Amino acid sequence: MTFLLRCVLVCVSILLTLYLLRRIRHSKMKIEDSIFWVMFALLLVLFSLFPKLADFISGMVGTYSTANFIFTFMIFILLLKVFFQSVKISQLERRVTELIQTFALDKEEDKEKEELNYESNRE
Amino acid sequence: MTDKVLVVIPAYNEALNIERVVGGVIENYPMFDYVIINDGSTDNTAEICRKHKWRIIDLPVNLGLAGAFQTGLKYAHRRGYRYAIQFDGDGQHRAEYILPMKEKMDEGYDIVIGSRFVTDKKPHSIRMFGSRLLSGAIWFTTGVMVNDPTSGMRMFSHKMIKEFADGLNYGPEPDTISYLIRHGANVAEIPVVMDERILGESYLNPLNAATYMGKMLFSILLVQSFRIRSRR
Repeated sequence: MTFLLRCVLVCVSILLTLYLLRRIRHSKMKIEDSIFWVMFALLLVLFSLFPKLADFISGMVGTYSTANFIFTFMIFILLLKVFFQSVKISQLERRVTELIQTFALDKEEDKEKEELNYESNRE
Repeated sequence: MTDKVLVVIPAYNEALNIERVVGGVIENYPMFDYVIINDGSTDNTAEICRKHKWRIIDLPVNLGLAGAFQTGLKYAHRRGYRYAIQFDGDGQHRAEYILPMKEKMDEGYDIVIGSRFVTDKKPHSIRMFGSRLLSGAIWFTTGVMVNDPTSGMRMFSHKMIKEFADGLNYGPEPDTISYLIRHGANVAEIPVVMDERILGESYLNPLNAATYMGKMLFSILLVQSFRIRSRR
C-alpha cells in the first residue's frame, strides 16, 4: 500500500465518520439505530489508522491476505444488517396493515352506529 | 353467533364490474350477508357502492388482495359470522354456488373450495400445468389432493376465520391452504363453473403468473415446513 493511498483512506474514513455523525444528529435518528453506523464508521477509521490491527486479526483467523479478511468481514456485517433490516420492514408492514384495517373497520362500525341512532331518533 | 354466511368481496378498481357482481348477489341471494372491501381504489368503485347504499369498508390505502381479504375476515370475526366466503369482485365467481358450499361446510369441513376440476378434466395448457404443479406440491407435503388450488372461491369456517383475522402470512393463496391442511384443517371441494372476467384487466400476464407459481411452489415445498403455528 502506497503512502498516498493510506492517506486517502484515512481521510475518507474520518470524513465519512464526521458526515455520518452530522447526519445522525440532524435527522433525529433513534439512538439505538445510529449505534450501528457510528460503530461501523469508527471501525473504518481504526482499520485505516492501524492497518497492523487488520493484519493481526487476519493472521489470527488464518485468511490468505488481509484484503480477503477485510472484504469477508465487511460483507458479513453488511449481510447481517440487511437481514435485520428486512425483518424490521416486515414488522413495520404488518403494523401498518393492522392499523389501516382497524381504522377502516372502526370507521364502518361508527357509521353503522350513527345510522342506527338516526333511525331510532326518528321513530 | 349468527348462522349466516358472510360474502367478502374484495374490490380494487372494479368500477366496471362491481355493479353487476354485487347487485347480482344482493338481489338474488338476500339470505347472505355481504361486505365489499374497497382496497384503496382510484376509480369510482366506492361512489358506486355508496350510491346503492351497499355495505362497504374503505381501506384508505391499497393493501393488496391478502390485506383486503383479511379485513373482510376481521369484520366477520368481529360480528361472529360462522362462515365467510371469498367472492371476487370481477365477476368470475357465480353466487349460485354459495349455498351448495355452505351445505358442504355444514358437514363439518373447515375449508370448502369451489373447484373447477372435480369432475371435469383439466385442459392441457401452460396455466393448467402450473395448477397441476401446485396440486402435486400440496399432495406431496400434506397427502391431500386439492384439484383446484388456485381457485379464489373459498369458504372458511369460524375457526379458520379467527386464524385468518389474527394471523400474519395468511394470504388467500394455495400455500396457506397447504399450511392449514398440514395443521389439521379438513378441506373439501365442490364442483363449480367459473366465468371469464368480462370487463377490465386481470393482472395475470404470463410473467406475473410464472413468478406467482414459483413463489407458491417454493413456499409450499420449503418455507411452510418450518413455520411454527402460534397458538392463541
